[in-house]
Amino acid sequence: MSNTIAKLKTSRYYGLILLGAMLIFFYGVFKILTPSNFGSLSNLYTYLQSSIIYSVGGCGLYFIVVMGLFDFAVGANIVLSSIVGVILSQKFGYAGFILGCLGCGTFIGFLIGMLYNNLNVPSMIVTVGLMLIFESVAVFVAGGVKQTLAPELRFFSGAPGNIILAGLAFLLMYFILNYTKIGTYCNAIGSNEFTAKNMGIDVKKYKLIGFMLLHFFVGIMAILTVSYGTTMTALTGMSTMSRNFQPLMGTFFGVAFRKYKMPITAIIVGEFIISIIFNGFVALGAPTTIQNVVTGAALLAIVSLTARGAKGSVVK
Amino acid sequence: MENKVLLVAEHIDKRFGITHAVNDVSLTIDAGEIRALIGENGSGKSTFSQMLCGIYTIGGGTFTLDGKVLHCRNQVEANNEGVAIIVQEMGTLSGLTVAENIFLGHEEPFMHMGVKDTRAMNKEAQRLLDEYGFGRIKAADMIDLYNFEDRKLVEIVKGTYMKPKILVIDETTTALSQNGRLELYKIMDAIRADGRSVIFISHDLGEVLTHTDTISVLRDGEFIATVQTKDMTEDDLKRLMVGREIGSAYYRTDYGEPVSDEVVLSVRDVSVPGQISHVTFDLHRGEILGFGGLSECGMHEVGKAIFAASWERTGTVTLADGTQINDIPTAIKHSIAYASKDRDNESVILNESIRNNIVLPSIDDLASHGLLSGKKLTAFADKHAKDMQTKMQNVGQFVSDLSGGNKQKVVLARWIGKGSDILVLDSPTRGIDVKVKQAIYALMAELRKQGKSIIMISEEIPELLGMADRIIVMKDGELNGEFLRDPALSEEDLIAKMV
Amino acid sequence: MSNTVKNEQEPSKLRTFLSSDTFKGMLPFIGLVVILFVMNIMTDGKILTPKRLRLLMSQVYYPMIVATGVFFVMTLGSIDFTEGSTLGLASIVVSKLSFISIPLAILGGVLTGAFIGAINGFFHVKFKLQSFIITICTMYLFRGVCAYLTTETAVPASAAIKALDQNWLKITITVAVLLVAWFLFRFTRIGNDVKAVGSGEIAARFSGVRTDRVKFLVFVAAGALTGLAAFVNVVKVGSITATAGNQLETQILISLVLGGLPITGGAKVRFSNIIVGTLMYTVLNNGLVMLGYESQTQQLIKGIIFLLFVALTIDRKALKVIK
Repeated sequence: MSNTIAKLKTSRYYGLILLGAMLIFFYGVFKILTPSNFGSLSNLYTYLQSSIIYSVGGCGLYFIVVMGLFDFAVGANIVLSSIVGVILSQKFGYAGFILGCLGCGTFIGFLIGMLYNNLNVPSMIVTVGLMLIFESVAVFVAGGVKQTLAPELRFFSGAPGNIILAGLAFLLMYFILNYTKIGTYCNAIGSNEFTAKNMGIDVKKYKLIGFMLLHFFVGIMAILTVSYGTTMTALTGMSTMSRNFQPLMGTFFGVAFRKYKMPITAIIVGEFIISIIFNGFVALGAPTTIQNVVTGAALLAIVSLTARGAKGSVVK
Repeated sequence: MENKVLLVAEHIDKRFGITHAVNDVSLTIDAGEIRALIGENGSGKSTFSQMLCGIYTIGGGTFTLDGKVLHCRNQVEANNEGVAIIVQEMGTLSGLTVAENIFLGHEEPFMHMGVKDTRAMNKEAQRLLDEYGFGRIKAADMIDLYNFEDRKLVEIVKGTYMKPKILVIDETTTALSQNGRLELYKIMDAIRADGRSVIFISHDLGEVLTHTDTISVLRDGEFIATVQTKDMTEDDLKRLMVGREIGSAYYRTDYGEPVSDEVVLSVRDVSVPGQISHVTFDLHRGEILGFGGLSECGMHEVGKAIFAASWERTGTVTLADGTQINDIPTAIKHSIAYASKDRDNESVILNESIRNNIVLPSIDDLASHGLLSGKKLTAFADKHAKDMQTKMQNVGQFVSDLSGGNKQKVVLARWIGKGSDILVLDSPTRGIDVKVKQAIYALMAELRKQGKSIIMISEEIPELLGMADRIIVMKDGELNGEFLRDPALSEEDLIAKMV
Repeated sequence: MSNTVKNEQEPSKLRTFLSSDTFKGMLPFIGLVVILFVMNIMTDGKILTPKRLRLLMSQVYYPMIVATGVFFVMTLGSIDFTEGSTLGLASIVVSKLSFISIPLAILGGVLTGAFIGAINGFFHVKFKLQSFIITICTMYLFRGVCAYLTTETAVPASAAIKALDQNWLKITITVAVLLVAWFLFRFTRIGNDVKAVGSGEIAARFSGVRTDRVKFLVFVAAGALTGLAAFVNVVKVGSITATAGNQLETQILISLVLGGLPITGGAKVRFSNIIVGTLMYTVLNNGLVMLGYESQTQQLIKGIIFLLFVALTIDRKALKVIK
């Protein structure tokens, strides 16, 4: 009997049920509190559209986070890549926009990976330094002015453009995780780097690939972000820090549900749940200045539930 | 009968900094042979075999397998050349499925233009598991769902499925239960029957004598001899390993000395979920109480439980004066010392000086009005490190630079300095060379004479027989038998209660 | 044959020196001298005028107090990103209470800081969550609270507290904090315990260090010190806006790293890291402002110098695997 329960607890259905229950719970709470201005079908569709942007970044971060690495330069790269994309779009249209975002994004990932590999410094620290640098580079590139995406290039700003692009990103993620060696190797490196190295895995190469993949997804996120907001302003002073966290929340969901072999579903649903919570608070009339409080508290709750260390484990 | 030579090692050499780990070793191994590689710790046997398997780069000399010179840079390349290794530590990786673990680094057969055929991979892995008789392990499951033993079995499949010409088994058996060991011996025999070879590294000389054909002995990185197993006894091997007769002073020689009735520590109904249940015993003044059993029997947890280092312990540990031991600082304050089996993580702080490692538990005693004097701390550490004859430059040296034996000396110096009356020593001589071993046994006998009490948890039965006044044998987390010191007591008596 | 092998493994003398602890210990001091020298030349000696130096010093006080607390956190091998928002929130508390009584205002600031530190410590210790994740969460949380409290207008402080804006007071507080912290670090078991946790937490626990308690208290102390720094900050600025303490956490992190603090913490930290680092950052910052660089250029230069210093000072031996 207890065996059956143990078996059930590890099956993917258990993970799905858990996710579904959380979704229904939060939806239910806010729906009861503010039945009139929250949670209609069209509302939900809007929440989903904003949440999938973060889910795309969450997918990218997954590669890095399962390896035990971290990246604080995601936000800075969203800003930088979207500015590069918008500037190129002024000359080359959609091609410039898409390739600009993806190319700049991936190139930044390459830079981060190379620096991380060669400086031998923890990723968290390298990326804090690089965030400072990329932020100022973005200001230089933008020439200190607000960059606006031309109205005729806004296919990805709403349905179905944004959903198609995000969907493609999720499919790509699914393919990479299940049908290439990259997913296996990233997990292996995260589990035990020494053993992985001895198994002939080129650890440095796959860390570099991890950073490049992450920032390729960040490039996609840049397309979606600047399309959704239509403008992008580069600012210094760690202002991009906050952009790191929304995708990160999804990644934590993904890592937590890894054992049910469903990280992508968890990232998408997780971001959707957070979107519901945000919008629920807004519907309750919370002032906009309190949004950071909600971000902080939500993230704290998520990590407390999902990223807890084992008893006796060393956590720095 | 003329055998075909499979592996030729010529002038193999390796240095780590100033240490000459492997010094000009040459040997040959025949096809269809199980060759033991023995030697004290630091004798170079692991380094030698890890060079063969591409884990370390070869410092000098050549390995020739089946007429072909090997240049492996990692395990996968070694696998492709027909060399595989099963390591001592956990060799499977969490977060991966069983199948992914088995084929890690060998995904090529399942790759079609960069796309991995996951279904075929799972199917093949399951076929292999079934073939080995481990069918209850499911290839598509996450490896995290399985326990240590099963994961070791997966590793055995991983190490042997590609039918390596030569398989290195590096001290794997210490991690295995009796059942696991039997599975491994079966596989070794199968490899021999197939005309392939095994290099078997083990500290357990009994196992070496029963399961190998020939034995090569290394000492201080140098090749000593290769001998036929059937001509050897355990004492012969020890002599070869140490290079001298082991004196009778190796263990205690006294028998029949009475042990005081005075109870210094009583353990009542102590349980740790999943580890030990309802452990109850008394420890007397001036007694060496041995704990024996298979490695997963829970005896190591007993040591932690006494020291109050276990998570979620129930039951009581009480001193003679009625003090309850419920946390580590209380345990230390009331004169309990603990040396863990996991020396590098739980006993010493590697990235700290010898000085700070030794003074740490005694720091309150060394402070006057809460104030510390650097001089006093250094003098204290220096005295106790030197009393233990720790090989070091000075006490400012970091522990990470020391050998296993010297690390253990630092651990013992710390507790002798603290003046602890009850010493819980978990595997005190694990991975330590014979010379230091002897010193530790002498120290234990000396402490016992001073009226200190020692709990010695050990996986080495001769050590228990030789040192303990009383031996408690554990099985499946429970006490399963108790023996008093007696020259007539044999290993078989203890083993009978262990399995 | 073995000779050639040996030569391969022997690094060059320069490399050995560059990775030696002696060099790493000297580096911050060299850095400070070099930066002072370079800035002095580039600004035609203006940075070393008494007036400029006074201004420079006035910017040192509260970061140095905050850095002292964070120094202990980083010695644990942990990290704290909440200084900025703690300073902001504590400054608001100090300002509001300053209308009632100054001692109460100081107490209020310290308690606010200690409270935030306690939250960080609680989640870090109880839930075994990485400190950088926790402190990022709480940074957002309390940054939000600050923003909420300053939504309408800036929070003013009383005239009485502003009257305390005198150098002797700020110097006294700063020096007192440094002395007490140095004393605790050097001459009591606190320093030993904190370093032991940083170097090897499990073994420290098995040696009788109450690791969880030590970690919790260090976070509380770091918060409390930031709360005290908030008082010094209010005295100086007089009214608190939503941006109070913005980016302080990066400033402190960069300062300590410039001071030579290995981000792995543990046995190789030096108390001088705090002083040298804070001074170096302030000189650098002032120099860049005096040279008339735009904020993005300043940030670029700081980022590059930060990465350079981390790469040079980090204790790679203490990191089994670099994550």
